[in-house]
Amino acid sequence: MTAPPPAAADAPAAATSTAAAPPSTAFIEYRAVSKAFAGQPVLRDLSLSISRGEILFIVGTSGVGKSVAIKLLIGLYRIDAGEIWFDGQRVDQLPERALAPLRKRIGMVFQSATLFDSMTLAENVALPLRKHRRLAWSAALDDARRRLAQVHMTEHADRYPAELSDGMRKRAAIARTLALDPEVVLFDEPTTGLDPVSARRIDRLIRELASRLGVTAVVVSHDPPSIFGTADRIALLYQGAIRALATPDALRASPDPIVQQFITGQSTGPMETPGF
Amino acid sequence: MLERSAPRDPARPPPGVIAGVGASALGVAQEVGGIVLLTADVARALVPPRIDSRELWKSLYKMGYRSVPIVVLTALFAGGLMTVQAGPFVKKFGATALAGWAAGYAVLRELGPILIALMFSGRVGANNTAELSTMTVTEQLDGLRALAIDPIRFLVVPRVLAMMTMLVALTVIGDLVALTGAAIVGHVMLDIEWSTMYHGFVDNLRPFDFLHGIYKAIAFGAAIAVSSCYFGITVRGGAVGVGRAVNAAVVAAAASIMLLDFFLTYLTG
Repeated sequence: MTAPPPAAADAPAAATSTAAAPPSTAFIEYRAVSKAFAGQPVLRDLSLSISRGEILFIVGTSGVGKSVAIKLLIGLYRIDAGEIWFDGQRVDQLPERALAPLRKRIGMVFQSATLFDSMTLAENVALPLRKHRRLAWSAALDDARRRLAQVHMTEHADRYPAELSDGMRKRAAIARTLALDPEVVLFDEPTTGLDPVSARRIDRLIRELASRLGVTAVVVSHDPPSIFGTADRIALLYQGAIRALATPDALRASPDPIVQQFITGQSTGPMETPGF
Repeated sequence: MLERSAPRDPARPPPGVIAGVGASALGVAQEVGGIVLLTADVARALVPPRIDSRELWKSLYKMGYRSVPIVVLTALFAGGLMTVQAGPFVKKFGATALAGWAAGYAVLRELGPILIALMFSGRVGANNTAELSTMTVTEQLDGLRALAIDPIRFLVVPRVLAMMTMLVALTVIGDLVALTGAAIVGHVMLDIEWSTMYHGFVDNLRPFDFLHGIYKAIAFGAAIAVSSCYFGITVRGGAVGVGRAVNAAVVAAAASIMLLDFFLTYLTG
């Protein structure tokens, strides 16, 4: 169990006030996390525990803070209040430079792929290998091609992201994220914009990562077949907090009208959707 | 990461004159502060100097080698222009021996560094801001951070080093081309002998005149590099924000060049 690090100079002031809290025993834990943008609260006292090897889907309406929640884990955003723990270490206080080891253990696949335009797919995947595994450029490229083959992108390895479809870019982005063999992968809407066949292949990949390699997957998704076909547990985010946290079957059986409206996708009901 | 405040909401009524001046001053102070902080980040990232050599070479090629044609063209005519401007006085006073000195002095100390820096800012600085700001709004910088790669060390440092190095190299090339242009125009249009122009350069110009321009090129290169990177990585607001960032970077670079030129000339002149 790693002791919480000392408060860093650039850590949020609110987060340091609760440094005396006991260490987390969960693999990933959010404790009463709050986050606002320009005064607008997005997450309010969000608490959530995730076990090692679990596939957790975070679902909810657009703009409810699902992507923000996963970005907070690797420090792409800073929390306003609360605590985030990973493998016994409090990580929300870590300064930017100290986040590098964490980010090597937790990979993220962004909604928009975020491949680097100026590099081919092989170069994109080779980049983290070259930077962190200290591989020579040619060795990194060879390894990158092998990893692209795992997502059926070998024949496109020498093409640039702008020449490919969204689905192809997303598969390459997954290959790049997996290049460092992370223990946790955060997927931000991995199947959005994909055809059903490609989407199910992504689902199968997530399942295989968990079952074969023990990778923990936290997936933000709007895709019902993906959610109910892949998740171990599903967390429904509503008004900045967890409204329901259950297995797919238990969630389907939930009597909560908010949960039912989300599952059935009815336009009328008790669920309030900002902007609608 | 550095952050900038959001641009003013156009729907809000315009502020009064004093409030407007105050807001502008605060805005400028914030941008200058941000640029200073980024400069400190770049300096910190150089200790120890773990520079990504692939990115550095790529930047050197893209920013330097491909700028040579436009710099050569600009310098050739700028040098010739100096001789054309000096021509009537040279002829009037029969001071052809000073034509080379006049052109060389102006080119080496002022015209060469400034013109090439402005050209460099327009071509390379603006391009750099556009590229970095597009990467920022499409989350490519966050993608780097998520891969545990520091964007400052990986993207900004090689670009700053490449721009500083290449502006010095282009200034040296530009100086030589401009002097050649001055000699050609002097010979063709004013019938000044090649040897007279040559001795005008060699006998009257000091090494410090050349170094004076090089100091300026180093300072201008740093200013263009840091400001163009700063506006690129702090952009907000999608495509509109990219355009605004490029505009701000070009204006900031031009203003920096003029300010630095004044103070460097004053302090070392």
